[in-house]
Amino acid sequence: MNILVKVGIVGLGHMGQLHMLNAMRVDGVDVVAGADKSEKNRKYAERFHVKTYDDYSKLIDAGELDAVVISLPNFLKKEAVFYAAEKGLDIFLDKPISRNLAEAQKMVGKVEKENVRMMVGVNYRYFPCVQKLKNKLENGEIGDAVIATSELVLNGPISHAVVPVPVPEWWLSKDLAGGGALLDLGYHLIDILCWLLGGFDVDYSSLGHKLHLPVEDAGTIVLKSKGTDVTGIVNVGWFSKSIFPEFNFRINIHGTVGFVSTDHYIPGDPRVNAVKEGLLNLMRRVAMKKLSYLSYTYYYSSFYKIIEAFFDALKSGSEFPISLEEQLDVMRIIDSAYRLNEFQISLEKQLDVMRIIDSPTLSPK
Amino acid sequence: MAKVVITSVKNQPFASSEIDSAVEKAIDNLNYDFRSINNVVIKPNLCYYWTASTGETTDGRVVCAIIKYIRERIGNDVNITVAEADASAMRTKFAFSILGYDELCQKNNVALKNLSEGNVIAKTVKVGKAEVTLPFNEVLLNADLIINVPKLKTHNFIGVTCAMKNIFGSISKPRKYAYHNNIVNVIVAANKIVKSDIIVVDGLIVRGSCPKKLGVVMTSDNPLTNDFVAARIMSFNPKKVPYLNLAAKENVGETKNINIIEDGVKLAEIKKSFPHYSHRIHSISWGLQLKMLRAYTAVSGDVLPPFLEK
Repeated sequence: MNILVKVGIVGLGHMGQLHMLNAMRVDGVDVVAGADKSEKNRKYAERFHVKTYDDYSKLIDAGELDAVVISLPNFLKKEAVFYAAEKGLDIFLDKPISRNLAEAQKMVGKVEKENVRMMVGVNYRYFPCVQKLKNKLENGEIGDAVIATSELVLNGPISHAVVPVPVPEWWLSKDLAGGGALLDLGYHLIDILCWLLGGFDVDYSSLGHKLHLPVEDAGTIVLKSKGTDVTGIVNVGWFSKSIFPEFNFRINIHGTVGFVSTDHYIPGDPRVNAVKEGLLNLMRRVAMKKLSYLSYTYYYSSFYKIIEAFFDALKSGSEFPISLEEQLDVMRIIDSAYRLNEFQISLEKQLDVMRIIDSPTLSPK
Repeated sequence: MAKVVITSVKNQPFASSEIDSAVEKAIDNLNYDFRSINNVVIKPNLCYYWTASTGETTDGRVVCAIIKYIRERIGNDVNITVAEADASAMRTKFAFSILGYDELCQKNNVALKNLSEGNVIAKTVKVGKAEVTLPFNEVLLNADLIINVPKLKTHNFIGVTCAMKNIFGSISKPRKYAYHNNIVNVIVAANKIVKSDIIVVDGLIVRGSCPKKLGVVMTSDNPLTNDFVAARIMSFNPKKVPYLNLAAKENVGETKNINIIEDGVKLAEIKKSFPHYSHRIHSISWGLQLKMLRAYTAVSGDVLPPFLEK
């Protein structure tokens, strides 16, 4: 096999490990090395004969790479992107692009200045149900879209793994994470709505703190399209205990002719789907054909597909399927939603003060 | 004769006043002697960041009811501490806030203690022929009265989790997952070192195959006795639950002559309503699925998500 792209994995945590395993299966890609502070994570990569470093600067400075996959906590992303860009490496970056809009703009400015390319891993676009929904919409089968509702309610970082480990504390810090459920989960929904229906502005934003965290654990935002009069509703939450394979995600688009929902296309029983897809892959293996990686998990196959799309674009020199302008637009919407929520809270406080002043006990007789 | 009192809060959504009244009746029925008590520790089950609505953690309203009861029976000057230790995946500094215990303790003017911090004393006890050494916080060891407030729920590893397992949760060492290979001995040892004086089981929302609002409040004066009854409610044979069986052999409590007081609710009714769950079937099924998955990925070359591999 000809090696066309030599890649390094920056951050070998759960997502970095998955990207590493996926990248190893893409034709023409050589996973040269990985970097992580954690010895346990490095040992995991070494099991797959991947050379490791305890610092990503050593990995990048070794000078063996064409590209990096950056899978780091939000507060470390900017520094790593800057470092890789200065060394002329193309970048695949886990979503969200950054903690806030200003940081995202600096990162995009940097990759443009250094003349390297970067793609953000918004893998939800690659869910089979989302792709089918997009086809229906583009074929005009529901007419003109008028209202789009989207939901993603999971446990977020508050998930109890098979082998219990504490939630990394950066997740629960506004400074380090940049935000909560809206930035983590809303990012996917907003990205998909913009991708399917064009640009939006924020009309309403209400963020909740049911779990008393410094970051929001619930949120509803209402979006208005910039010209097509489509209303988009985004509901997100980190408050649910549900775990995979339960997956509380859906997008419904109501049009002038009919409606379409991702619920129409997801497998009824995840276990039956796993057996079916597994058998198909075994047949592909016997026939020496390419596997449909992770299709037995349904949702996880999107991680393979998006990283394959990244490497395919690098190999062919074509445009990335996900542009940085789109990702800046997502961050602009999220930034507006945070600001609007704060404004609404301060307005409500002022109204409360006015209600107290106007109350009969304080009013002049 | 050991005593277990079962009562219930009938009307949803379980008003605080009704919980107060159920807790008061249930503890009163134990006829506990509250003389000479200065330091009280209340140990809820805050195993993770899941709210009481999931049936996994102790409802703060039950703890509030106990605080009111203690102040009424013992006096306003009694020192009350609500205490929980860090766990393998849970940090109390977050759990206290997420689950509303910070606010609860502030409002009720009681102390809130992370049992993993401060003075920890290693205690050794014999379980069978083995010696088991476990670290416990002095706040717990020096208490005049320990009120154990567990949940009524099933557990994937050990089947039944109620009063005895809640004391396992009070071990100071955060990474209690390390004890899982020897969990039967460790649970029994923990309960030999830390003696629960009163158990108030929060069965408002129980957890078996799913959470269910049962509105049950159960009290006892012995954790093993309590758990024998709890196991029956959850359709387990307590003699076949290894740590209960071992605890019975080690005389942790009475298991034969139990005086069950059914106050306005029948044990049989609760048992019937409990969302039964077979952890054995779950374990076998989950283990089998993982083995099949590993075999499939090894043969096909497909990816096994790292979180399933560990």
